[in-house]
Amino acid sequence: MNGSPTDGDARILERGYRRYEGERRGLSHSIWTVVLHSVQRVLGIKRTIWQKIVPAGAVAMAYIPAIVFVGVAALIDDVGVVDDILPTYAEYYGFVTAAILVFSAFVAPELLCTDRRTGMVGLYLSSPLDRDRYLLAKAGAVGLILSLVTVGPVLLLLVSFVFEGSGPDGPLDVLSALGRILLGGLGISALHGALSLGVSSCTDRKAVASAAIVVLLLVSGVLVDSLVEAGGPPELYAFHLPLLPFALVYRIWGEQVGGEQIDQVATWLIVLANLAWTLGFAALARVNVHRLQVTR
Amino acid sequence: MTPVHPSPAPPLPVPPGPPAVVEATGVAKAWGTTAVHTDLTFTVGRGVTGLLGPTGSGKTTLIGMILGLHAPDAGRLRVLGLDPIGAGPELRARIGYAPEHHRLPPDVRAHDLVKHIAALHGLPLREATTRASDALWAVGLGEERHRPIGTMSTGQRQRVKLAQAIAHDPRLVLLDEPTDGLDPVQRDDMLELIRRCSTDYAIDVLVSSHHLEEVERTCDGAVIIAEGRVVASGPLTELRGAAHGVVVEVDEGADALAAELVRRGCTVGADGRRLLVQGGASPEHLADLLRDALADSGVPVRRLQPRSASLEEVFLGVAGGAS
Repeated sequence: MNGSPTDGDARILERGYRRYEGERRGLSHSIWTVVLHSVQRVLGIKRTIWQKIVPAGAVAMAYIPAIVFVGVAALIDDVGVVDDILPTYAEYYGFVTAAILVFSAFVAPELLCTDRRTGMVGLYLSSPLDRDRYLLAKAGAVGLILSLVTVGPVLLLLVSFVFEGSGPDGPLDVLSALGRILLGGLGISALHGALSLGVSSCTDRKAVASAAIVVLLLVSGVLVDSLVEAGGPPELYAFHLPLLPFALVYRIWGEQVGGEQIDQVATWLIVLANLAWTLGFAALARVNVHRLQVTR
Repeated sequence: MTPVHPSPAPPLPVPPGPPAVVEATGVAKAWGTTAVHTDLTFTVGRGVTGLLGPTGSGKTTLIGMILGLHAPDAGRLRVLGLDPIGAGPELRARIGYAPEHHRLPPDVRAHDLVKHIAALHGLPLREATTRASDALWAVGLGEERHRPIGTMSTGQRQRVKLAQAIAHDPRLVLLDEPTDGLDPVQRDDMLELIRRCSTDYAIDVLVSSHHLEEVERTCDGAVIIAEGRVVASGPLTELRGAAHGVVVEVDEGADALAAELVRRGCTVGADGRRLLVQGGASPEHLADLLRDALADSGVPVRRLQPRSASLEEVFLGVAGGAS
């Protein structure tokens, strides 16, 4: 402490409640406030250590393979060997599927169900936000967090490979790869985020929502696989929720999933199915949020 | 170091604004086939106003309509001069709301919650942080502001709800059953805080309650809802005055005076030398009747005193009349 208090000079001053005549920001500020608060909450920031474990684990699952591959690329000089060992950008999503599923089943239930159980949704909707903007803010937060595992690790690979000299050649190729990474990552985030929001909007219980998301993904996958193996048309993959967004990423990179009949499905159907599921789940979330009774 | 307690801050100047904080004309609202409100017509003025009505009378639904969360099926509603549906975001930025329930995120610290709600209402983050502290100090939670809400008592949570409602300096605060779950001491403290919102902080308050005594102690006016319509509204002095009467104390001749008053159509209750006189079309008319009766009977008067009905009498009278 610098100096010492002079006798008689020290005061404890209470400023007291005052009128606020300063700047008041608009709706975009309110939306961003919710996005920021939601992201902090899901990632366990300002929360107990136990509430940081799941998000930290999911992020680690997504980034550790990327860090390992970057290390491998740095250690091995032979580009041919590196190309054989390392996965393509599209194949990398095979390593982060678990992280994406964890966030899918965890993020939106944490945001929507908790708001309903704690009555926060009433406070949100008594602010300048209306129901659509509230949902938009929550969707933004979900998308941002999912992008942490759908875009982030692949982006890390690209940047690292470029710096190591083993990435795409020339600015155009780098930009093209960047665009594909963003498009693919956002596509996965959009479908999983909408699914997560749609299911979570049906209940105020986090555990129920998380279980329902996992069951929906597993059941749709197992059911479609069984039907196709039993001779059904490959177009049934339009209902294969776990595989559908990754199939889209493969198409974006111009690659084949390999060993899957989904490769026989037309690209337009893959795109359309992703879009339809995303919009469908988003519409479900919107309907449920509009039906919420919030002043009780 | 010598702690010096500051003297209370002088009352804040009342900001300019429309004299009618809330204005409803023929507002109706139904949920499905259930009519909640059939005809709400009232005006809420400046200061603290109580929204009174039995449980299930639609007080919370009305608060929802004032916030623009539900559109009225019919009628016209204006809040701070604005249409709550058309100007929802603009209006809600100037309103604070404390819900009835006590559920708040248990693991969030009080300061973080209040700061978050203040930022939601448009305050920049730095200002929201400062004002969250100020609001929590104002409601008596300065020392507790960094505690998780889940560790707080019901009384403290009610204060947190009030703090988040006033932190962004709203023009109007809507408090839904703010004393619910409080013990008598906490209730007194909360009512004092609500009163201070109006007198010290110049914020108009609409407080829903079914405790008549609380409204009587705290509010400047009241809106009484029963059977889907407003059965009485206005300043408390007027509401009490509507059930007008005069206490007349005489030394002798009480019976003669009573007979004279009854002959003029008044209702007279006798208690020895004291008579409770009611009747007449208005307080002025009653005074005229009393003057004439006193002049005609020649009874000397010892004391005359206007008699105000308690809010409970008003409420029971109008609610009974409504049903």
